[in-house]
Amino acid sequence: MAVFPSDDWLSIYRDLINASADYRDAAATWEGDIAFVFEAEPDRGVPEDLWAVLDLWHGACRTGRIVDADEAARSAYVIRAPYSRWKDVLNGELDPVKGMMQGKLKVQGDLATIVRYVRAANELVHLTTQVPTEFLDERPVASG
Amino acid sequence: MRAVTYRGPGRVEVAEVDDPSIEDPGDAIVRVRVAAICGSDLHFFHGKAPLEVGDVMGHEAVGIVEAVGDDVSGFLPGDRVVAAFAIACGACWFCAHGETALCEDARSLGTGIFGGSLAGAQAELVRVPVADVNLLAVPDGIDDERAVFVGDVLSTAVHAVERAELRGGETVAVVGAGPVGWLLAQAVRRSPAAQTFVVDVEPSRLASVEGLGAVAIDASAVNPHVAVHDRTGDRGADVVFEAVGSPAAFERALDLVRRGGRVVVVGMYAGETVPMQLGVWWSRALDVRFTGVCPVHAVWERALAALLDGSLDPSPVISHRMGLAHASEAYELFARREASKVLLRP
Repeated sequence: MAVFPSDDWLSIYRDLINASADYRDAAATWEGDIAFVFEAEPDRGVPEDLWAVLDLWHGACRTGRIVDADEAARSAYVIRAPYSRWKDVLNGELDPVKGMMQGKLKVQGDLATIVRYVRAANELVHLTTQVPTEFLDERPVASG
Repeated sequence: MRAVTYRGPGRVEVAEVDDPSIEDPGDAIVRVRVAAICGSDLHFFHGKAPLEVGDVMGHEAVGIVEAVGDDVSGFLPGDRVVAAFAIACGACWFCAHGETALCEDARSLGTGIFGGSLAGAQAELVRVPVADVNLLAVPDGIDDERAVFVGDVLSTAVHAVERAELRGGETVAVVGAGPVGWLLAQAVRRSPAAQTFVVDVEPSRLASVEGLGAVAIDASAVNPHVAVHDRTGDRGADVVFEAVGSPAAFERALDLVRRGGRVVVVGMYAGETVPMQLGVWWSRALDVRFTGVCPVHAVWERALAALLDGSLDPSPVISHRMGLAHASEAYELFARREASKVLLRP
């Protein structure tokens, strides 16, 4: 079980992406790292924004890690949303492309390019469901 | 006379300056009884908008007419008046159509070369051009402290709510609970809207809007996007007022509005930019309405009437009453967000 988001979680996720033939096929021509911003929800265990980057290149994930805001902002694409929106995505309750068009997930970068890779995006979302995940707002509260 | 003068970024000083005089037959000279510091004065205070050292600041004032030019027919010395912060000619196509803020000769008090180089109202005396257009008589039932709001922020709130065209049962979010945001929340109460959310981080401001019956959303404790969506069937608010004037607040407003909803941008902007996903805005069918500078002349009689019938009362936003001599301290308090509205008495 890995906490979402964390380097451990992203490491498992990266391996799943690289093992996916469907992703490799759908994203064969994709170039560009994507930063994800998990916006703070102090009342739900996320006191500050968290940033992660996936370096995606030609159907593979070269790295996936938690980074600081400055590094993440240099990514070709930045997608941001409140933490619980991302949780909705991972739980299959929010289609990410639809969420982008509805403004529930905000995109910086060429949205048209992302939309053209909708099959790859769907596979990325599908793979998140295979990561044994513990959400920040569902962690047991430490006593004492 | 004594006046609040700009001395450079972050510095004002009360200094002796020449008394204003009638320069044009449409002018009036008003002896100021109460002037106020407005949020937009901070743009000039911080040097974000151009003022020359020595320029007299301020654009909100109520006072007594001291002298009038030969062409002034609506006012006499001794009349108690509030001045319009935006000075209009009253004769052009825009003025004739009630869009006085878009006047061909639009000027404003105390905003330097930006506003036609008119001296400001934080002074013992102020010259008001085209006085028949840019002064409004204040009835006896309204004291100076409430009347001063009619010349700017109260009319701005009334105008913004009118621009929003609120319908019965709609949900409203206000980004920013400063004086304009607070007055917006109060003005929305007079509309058929069903529920109002106000987003800010300042505890005293949030407590104050709760007194208006609004739902206070503390952006330091919760995510406003989630908080508003949780209360609106995951749609977002029907109408969002942006009452801050910063790119972050503008983007916050876009976060809070539902698809097909209306964003009314009240906050003041100068050179700021934001990235814009045209396709997302288009597919969300966003209706973004910039109020621009309030056409105060087209609104202020309704604002005055609301003061008279008690449906609007700006008094709670007044945090400080100070003598003009303490203007420097007042600006510093305001800039540190330790004051919500400062009234200055010459």
